[in-house]
Amino acid sequence: MSEFKLTTVEEFEAATARLLETGAKVGADAWQFRVKNQTPHCKFGEEGVCCRICTMGPCRITKKAPRGICGCDVHGIVGRNYLKFTAGGSATHSDHGREICHTLYESAADGCYKVKDPDKLIRIAKEWGIETEGKDIYDLAHEVAETGLMEYGKPFGTQRFLKRAPESQQELWEKNELAPRAIDREVSCSLHMSHMGCSSKPEALVKQAIRAGLSDGWGGSMMGTEFSDVLFGTPKPIETEANLGVMVEDNVNIVVHGHDPSLSEMICEFADDPEMIAYAKEQGAKGITVSGVCCTSNEVAMRRGIPMAGNFLQQENVVLTGACEAIVVDVQCIFPALGPLSKCFHTKFITTSPIAQMPDSEFIRFDAHTAGEKAKLIVRTAIENFKNRKPELVHIPQMKQKATVGYSTEAIVKALDGVTNSQVDELGTTKPLLECITSGVLRGAVAMVGCNNPRVRPDLAHIELMKKLVANDIIIIASGCSAQAAAKAGLMDKRAKDVCGAGLKRVCELADIPPVLHMGSCVDISRMLVLAATLAKDAGLHISQLPVVGCAPEWMSEKAVSIGNYVIGSGIDTFLGVDPYACGSSEMVEILTNGTKEWVEAAFTVEKDIEKLGDAMIAKIEEKRAALGI
Amino acid sequence: MTLFETVFSGNDAVYGLTEGAINAAIEQHGADKAVSFPNTAYCLPCYYAVTGVKVKTLGELKEALGVVKTLMTREMRLNDVFMSGVATALCAEFIEVLKYIDGAEPYTEPCYGHLADAVIRELGVPLVTGDIPGVAVILGSAPTKEEAVALVKSYQAQGILVTLVGGVIDQVAEAGMKTGANLRVIPLGKDVTSVIHVVSVALRAALIFGNVTPGDAANLMKYTFERVPAFVNAFAPLDDVIVACGAGAIALGFPVITNQEGVSTVPKSLILQPDVAKFNATSLEARDIKIKITNIDIPVAFASAFEGEIIRRG
Ligand code: SF4
Ligand code: SF4
Repeated sequence: MSEFKLTTVEEFEAATARLLETGAKVGADAWQFRVKNQTPHCKFGEEGVCCRICTMGPCRITKKAPRGICGCDVHGIVGRNYLKFTAGGSATHSDHGREICHTLYESAADGCYKVKDPDKLIRIAKEWGIETEGKDIYDLAHEVAETGLMEYGKPFGTQRFLKRAPESQQELWEKNELAPRAIDREVSCSLHMSHMGCSSKPEALVKQAIRAGLSDGWGGSMMGTEFSDVLFGTPKPIETEANLGVMVEDNVNIVVHGHDPSLSEMICEFADDPEMIAYAKEQGAKGITVSGVCCTSNEVAMRRGIPMAGNFLQQENVVLTGACEAIVVDVQCIFPALGPLSKCFHTKFITTSPIAQMPDSEFIRFDAHTAGEKAKLIVRTAIENFKNRKPELVHIPQMKQKATVGYSTEAIVKALDGVTNSQVDELGTTKPLLECITSGVLRGAVAMVGCNNPRVRPDLAHIELMKKLVANDIIIIASGCSAQAAAKAGLMDKRAKDVCGAGLKRVCELADIPPVLHMGSCVDISRMLVLAATLAKDAGLHISQLPVVGCAPEWMSEKAVSIGNYVIGSGIDTFLGVDPYACGSSEMVEILTNGTKEWVEAAFTVEKDIEKLGDAMIAKIEEKRAALGI
Repeated sequence: MTLFETVFSGNDAVYGLTEGAINAAIEQHGADKAVSFPNTAYCLPCYYAVTGVKVKTLGELKEALGVVKTLMTREMRLNDVFMSGVATALCAEFIEVLKYIDGAEPYTEPCYGHLADAVIRELGVPLVTGDIPGVAVILGSAPTKEEAVALVKSYQAQGILVTLVGGVIDQVAEAGMKTGANLRVIPLGKDVTSVIHVVSVALRAALIFGNVTPGDAANLMKYTFERVPAFVNAFAPLDDVIVACGAGAIALGFPVITNQEGVSTVPKSLILQPDVAKFNATSLEARDIKIKITNIDIPVAFASAFEGEIIRRG
């Protein structure tokens, strides 16, 4: 076996630089150049003090002009911007969750989509009080899907999944009017509140931001995750690889990018089809390789071990290899730049969702009824494009790492069962993890999530923070682009135990896990909520008492803010490496970094210095331990 | 007190005793006085295995104690706890070696104290082949002597090598149980520090059979973790010193099973089993030991342990 070594960010960057040389040859634009064009950014926007929600504005707050035309002060403006930002994120995840509900509704024994995990479906049905006895599994699927869909717009009550939280958190939500009602209602209520002449009181705006966030985390995202598992299987540990080197030069390369597994799952299905492989060979290729970018990549990696080509800021690199026959996208985090970029190469940029339509793309409308034929058409289109490659432009950086992924909450509990002793322990609980934490073998856990952002040297914060945390015996659960950064670096290789402190190393050896556990896509952060809730219940503590924190060091999207809100809303202190356009208001800063503790027992810390951000997380974890006397 | 603090405190206590004992010995004999265990080529085997340095005089022993002190870092991390555990073991070895000054014979029947290299070579082969499927280190006094005997016999019947430290030695003696290396039940000594004589077996096995370079502490611990199927059964009450020794055992990969209520448990490493009757099954599972020998239904305990028994007439 060759020596194990983590890949460094310098090596990533050297590979990117080489790809940009190809880009220069064909006159391609890239985010690296666009960032330069946009720098310096507008300070009013950065601080969140610019308002353009009515046409009396745009207004911006300065010392000389402390109020907008309507009289709104800086705190109200920053607060409204913050709420709108959250609503955007919540809407996005929730619409994704809704699509999955629809897919579940369309599932049929002889259809494109089937129920792969009936046990999980039955579990959810029981949890929701739906009669399961003697029912055809598809009838049950439709009933559960319909009940789920009602969660988006039901006129009364709050989200069903809230019951999964420990009582203490539910009480806080009730008491502070934070319990999310219908998902869409929270989004539209947010937009209502942030309209001109409605709320301008920061407390009210932040509270609604938390409620809208919670409707995502314990609503839209959670349904997205749960029903994706029902349809495509609950992830189990599986081997895969990460980084651009997973693309295979001799093969037709199809890259799936976006979020919804309904599309990527189907593409993978057909790329495996012998008929399609034969067709690819006919066209001069040796086979078909599907790899992924961003969250849809995480989805198919978790369930099928499909390799991960890269994360958010690597999406252009995929095309720059000159070896990408098709980049197939659905929704969210897709650079519109991919259209013009693909035109510089033979690559087909295929959009599939009416939600995300872009110029310079080929639109193949994808829906649950015609999923099979559409996926087949997409794969065919990619295969037929193989011959159009320009060999002189082909360069795939030979850089990849092995990763073990697939750590759903269920899989984590299973791994923990592996270290129990049948003479003394019960199975199926998080107790072994709690024992490791209580004894001090593990100091705590950090949920690393979020995007890349050119404001932070891409992947550096993710990787450096993870290295620091694991060296301090803090186990990492990761999702989204953070998880991919870890995988690219090699931190999801089980051999990465050797970069850990003695405690985490021993845990990795005994439980046979890597130190960074890939829990999935961004909607799968709901898995982390379930895990935290289970830990708290098994320990008899509030979630906020657990030595667990969240961290999004390179976050960029509105979704990340929605996530941040529901994570603190669930009692988990959250550390951000990028400011959420809030620093322009002292009151907003105070509420977000301190005031929310009163409502949800957690708050944000914003720190742009990575070293300090890591120290602050460790300090917080030790503070929580000290409070528990462990 | 947290588990880590308990280990640190136990280590500090043992360190204090060791320092005092070495100083007193130097005062009495002078720094040039030779120190050694009988019948070993490895000087102080544990210290030699961990550091690669051979200690031969009291003066060198004092220097070695300075090195041991550097292992006693006090961060709240498992690495520090492991090293503290190793430091505790090394201190125990220092205390034990002082007992052997001037060729003294500090241990008398039935206790063995230090075990000769020859014993290790003899036991090493069956350990490597799996004929000895495990090594049990039983420490302290069982709740009753019946339970003590039953536990020891249960291991003996499985071919497991049993070492005894502390009150359990008297318990099995009182019950009239025969012990000895030929029966693979080896009483080491009544002081807790005598536990080092079994650690010494494990570490010499790593040097002899594992080709571990003396001083390569990381590989030494890796070898014992992966290859030496030992485990500890520590009876309540546990004091800080025993817990500190336990940390050393866990550092080497040996799980500790105890009936001490309220102990802060660690999966696969520090396990609370209130029922002594289940120590055997719990220990074997914790150390992933599978017994090759099938139980044969004959009226006497049957296992390779009895191969060496001298059948007396009568
Ligand atoms: S809402 Fe008020 S602050 Fe905002 S643009 Fe209109 S007038 Fe200006
Ligand atoms: S982590 Fe951020 S960039 Fe990556 S897919 Fe999720 S929202 Fe998009």
